[in-house]
Amino acid sequence: MVDTNSEGREGHVTRRQFARGFVLAVVAAAVGSVLSFLKLLAPSKKGGGYVATVSRGDLLVYARGSRMGNLLKASEFEPGEAVLVYPKGKSGNEANLVQLIRLEQSEFKPPTRPELTDQGFVAYSAICTHLGCIVGWVKDKKDPEASYTECPCHNSIFNPARGATVMGGPAPIPLAQIGVKVSRDGTLVFTSGFSGPIGPQV
Amino acid sequence: MISKWFDERLELQKFKDKFLNKAFPVHPTFLLGEVALFSFVTLVLSGIFLGLLYEPSTGKISLFGAMVPAAYASVVKIDLLPLGVIVRRIHHWSAMIMIASVIAHLARVYFTSAYRKPREINWLIGLGLLGITLGAAFTGYLLPYSQFSVTATSIAYYISKSVPWVGDWIARLLFAGEFPAHATVPRFFFLHVMVIPAVLVSLVGLHMLVLIKQKHTEPGANRKRKEARGGQRLIGIPVWPEQSYISVSLFFFLLFVVVLMATYIPLNPIETFGPPSPVTPVMRPDWYFLPIYGFLKLIPGDLSISIAGAKIGPEAIGGVFFPGILAFILVAIPFLDRASEAHNYIENPLHRPFMTSAGIAVAAFLFMTTVSGYIDVLHIAPASMAIYVVVVSAAAWVISYLLLRRYGRAVKKGEHVES
Repeated sequence: MVDTNSEGREGHVTRRQFARGFVLAVVAAAVGSVLSFLKLLAPSKKGGGYVATVSRGDLLVYARGSRMGNLLKASEFEPGEAVLVYPKGKSGNEANLVQLIRLEQSEFKPPTRPELTDQGFVAYSAICTHLGCIVGWVKDKKDPEASYTECPCHNSIFNPARGATVMGGPAPIPLAQIGVKVSRDGTLVFTSGFSGPIGPQV
Repeated sequence: MISKWFDERLELQKFKDKFLNKAFPVHPTFLLGEVALFSFVTLVLSGIFLGLLYEPSTGKISLFGAMVPAAYASVVKIDLLPLGVIVRRIHHWSAMIMIASVIAHLARVYFTSAYRKPREINWLIGLGLLGITLGAAFTGYLLPYSQFSVTATSIAYYISKSVPWVGDWIARLLFAGEFPAHATVPRFFFLHVMVIPAVLVSLVGLHMLVLIKQKHTEPGANRKRKEARGGQRLIGIPVWPEQSYISVSLFFFLLFVVVLMATYIPLNPIETFGPPSPVTPVMRPDWYFLPIYGFLKLIPGDLSISIAGAKIGPEAIGGVFFPGILAFILVAIPFLDRASEAHNYIENPLHRPFMTSAGIAVAAFLFMTTVSGYIDVLHIAPASMAIYVVVVSAAAWVISYLLLRRYGRAVKKGEHVES
């Protein structure tokens, strides 16, 4: 007779110990094999997040509203106004979304890069660096110079005259500047790519 | 006649003797769990109607001449059906009531200390139910695929991505790729209508099973009544017929309230939000996510910590660590407030100054972080608001603690005088 309940002899494994170990091993193997499926459920990176495709020479068009897709004219803007724009033909990629702002050329202070501005026009990425919402414009009617960029989601505030520096709220870094200039025919054209990282910094 | 036919085959009388005579202790706060359960039933029923008409795809189709995502178009079409929008509102209002009642149920259990030994297991299952209910609500946000849905989900995507070390992988796992990916809507739809309800039903079953096994906690007043009777049996009304009549009435009353609200109070007007477009409207999540939303606004952008190669920025602090710490505290409660022997009576919260005032402080904190969600309207600077949050929560804790302690002493004195 074998007493299956008693402890095995020194150096021996009882039937019960073996059965217990065997079940544990099988369960561990099964769970482990299922875990590997999690990898399949998370598609691999495609290149990641916001990758802008805007380039020097792209024309600026309205990103929304009744004039969506139309070319912008410098004459359509007064200082203190802002609009969302896309590079012409590249509106399928949200990373290209830009907020074009018109101020007075004399207002620009560092870290704004003056060589990327023209006739009071300055442009920044419109994707908030906090959690990726599209920034808006808070226009001060009495004092256009006091207007600023604000993200509607968590109220990050950016100073357009100072290189979109974060003035308040949770955004970790400024919006990236992008070069614009007014052409001879009054339309606007991009003169560079983004000066820094765009989109959420996570 | 019919019942006899079934009784002969299923031995219903045995079942009846065993379960339907169970005593259900009476207390005005004991029905919150039932409200949650019945809201869930309404959610399933309205959800079946919506699910049969919904199209989980972001492929563009034509709707009144405009090319919009098929998911958005299908929800607009539901809204155009006779009473279609009412069903959608019933679904949404039921979800809000369910979450509210789950939270109220949790608060009730906390403040009456019903989480103590031997009910720690059901406390944890209940927390799981709260989590999964919020998950159901969150996955439901995306489905109409309006501008609101996409913005809210996008924010959640980047919050998931901000989890230290594994965030990138977790975000891709949850959202089936980098949001907005084509696979996100089908995955959320499947989670919302299949996986989450299945887990929810299982957990509810487990919650009830443990409840039946451990029996309900009783109002403290029953203690003396029981001693007078010299019995050990639970005092309450039987499941059948008294409690059943109450439950059935409660269910239909709830249905009445939900239908009334759905008829007269609009919410989530997706036609106003419109399909996804390159603009973010000023938007706030539903009330139950407002504390996280408000907290995110308070974290200054330059607050960031680097640990072992991971950058913990303002997104992670507000979106991951804040709810994470809250969840951790909730899980830890029954293991911090340990009891050596089994407690089967609910406690009067007025007699537990520390725990009750701590609960009041958390409630004040959640209220103040909710208010923080409105700093743009209230014109309060985030830094000042952060101070208000801390001051009000701390004051709520200290003041309620002192008042309760004073009350407790007064009661003791009173008893002393009586004896």
